Amino acid sequence: MPKYIKIPLLILGIPAAVFAVTFAIYFLNLDMKLLSKIEPFFLRHYDKMPRESYV
Amino acid sequence: MIVKQEDWSRPGDQRLGVLFDGGKVRRRREWRGVKDTLYDYGRWVYIMSILARFIVKPRNIKAMFRYRWMANYLAVPHMVDKFTMGLRDEPLRIVHTAMDFVVYDVAQTMENIFRGDRRTGNDKKFSDKCVLTDENAMTAFMMGFPTLKAILREVPTMFVANLLNQYSTTHYLDVAQAAGIPGDVCPMPEAEAGISIDDDFAVLGACAVQVNTTCDGSLMGNGIIAKRLEREYGIPTFQLVAPMRHREEDVQDYAAQDIRNAIAFIEEHTGEKWDWTAYFECAKRVNDITRNRLAWLEMNSTNYPQFVGAPFSLYNDTNYMGNCGRSPKFPPIDRKIMKYAQHGYEAKRMMAPEYRHRAIIWGVQPQYVIDMLNWMIHCWGIVPLTDMLSMVNTRQIAEEDTPENREQAYYDMAWLNENMIMRNRTHGGYEVLVDELWQFCEQMNADMVIMWEHMSCKALTGMHGQFEEQARERGIHLVWVCHDLCDPRVYTRQAIRDQLNTYMRTVMREEPLDPSIEVLPDEKAW
Repeated sequence: MPKYIKIPLLILGIPAAVFAVTFAIYFLNLDMKLLSKIEPFFLRHYDKMPRESYV
Repeated sequence: MIVKQEDWSRPGDQRLGVLFDGGKVRRRREWRGVKDTLYDYGRWVYIMSILARFIVKPRNIKAMFRYRWMANYLAVPHMVDKFTMGLRDEPLRIVHTAMDFVVYDVAQTMENIFRGDRRTGNDKKFSDKCVLTDENAMTAFMMGFPTLKAILREVPTMFVANLLNQYSTTHYLDVAQAAGIPGDVCPMPEAEAGISIDDDFAVLGACAVQVNTTCDGSLMGNGIIAKRLEREYGIPTFQLVAPMRHREEDVQDYAAQDIRNAIAFIEEHTGEKWDWTAYFECAKRVNDITRNRLAWLEMNSTNYPQFVGAPFSLYNDTNYMGNCGRSPKFPPIDRKIMKYAQHGYEAKRMMAPEYRHRAIIWGVQPQYVIDMLNWMIHCWGIVPLTDMLSMVNTRQIAEEDTPENREQAYYDMAWLNENMIMRNRTHGGYEVLVDELWQFCEQMNADMVIMWEHMSCKALTGMHGQFEEQARERGIHLVWVCHDLCDPRVYTRQAIRDQLNTYMRTVMREEPLDPSIEVLPDEKAW
């Protein structure tokens, strides 16, 4: 592909692809779905931590 | 008075119930039409950038693995979605402007906390310039210390955490109760006490200032926290004691003297000197905040309220109490909100096809379902005009640096401290809690009062009969909504909403505007 076509395509294509991916993550709530799966691992980690608990 | 727009339309999703599937998070984000969906997407990118900038720092990653309450911050975008549900145009922009700035401000607070925290950042030089300030304190006594940081460590640890995740406090409540604290104490100070017992507060600061501004439960929690601060961590703690009958003239000399004592305590432990130039700069901003809040309230007393509900309350909490004129970053946000609100008002923008009832929200809010105020608009057409926590100081304080005003300033700071959010209504006699409510109903043309009945709050329970009797005399619909502030195991979110649903169906004989959200499967949700 000639450079004069490839460069504008890249200039337009990369932001368009980033937008498409991030918009899909946003609209399908994939960010929250992923993070909600991570939360139990953190909670198990906190449960295992030694604490200096006293009143 | 019913306000209805025949040509009202909401682009995108019409039935908001489609967003819920019973999971921890929503099925998908809301379709708001092209323009508003793209706007909301842009704000989501901004919030994600705040979170990304926060979590790339090693000390913050360390904090994520050290402090249990940090896991709640996985839910920040989810929280913003709760507050923006169903909104379009100016109201959507107002909520984002306010709440996104609250997110930014809390992220900054956490940055400062972990920078000074002995377990994570451990920047001792920075920590020595920090003053731990009670979550329930007006930060007025910090207005003349521009080189010091007021660190409200309970705000991200407990208060905001419960906005993010309804179950954020339950572990700490169990810890506190396992240590012998009764279960009928207000769960907010009880959870804070549990955090301290569980050794889950960040540790920093040259000294600390605690206040008596809320209630006896808060004093109990403060006692436990102060003991650990002073005896284990060697952080001296001052008790700033505001008078109960704060409207009485004869208590003001005492209140002003206690402010002088707090300032002297901070000077002694930080080595910094009170700066009057900085104080009066902050005082100008406090007055600006007051004028703006009054302007928004005036707009909300018309047929076309714009800045309402939980974001109105939470933004005011942050700006009035946590900031108290100290940050120059708030006034531009105020101006931006004002611009949107004026546009929305001129365009007669409504958030629902009809406003059937104009409600004042009174009492102490259920923190884990505070977005219910937005739900009320969409489900029942009830507009929350204002809430008890936003009905605070209306006076202008002295803002010119003169010898007389320097003396007056102590009284102004004391006045602000006495008029901390909530306590200015829950303390000070029945006039401030009961009588003035009816005045606000008249001023704001409200026909309904949603009365939060926090079952562990003794300050309000004693007035139950007076509210009932006087609302009946005035023909105001008084809807009691019982809850347990930040413990969803006692009253679930739906149990709270059902109290309003039942009232609307049985007493008002009305049908919901959007039946798909009358019952929401959000018991397991963040």
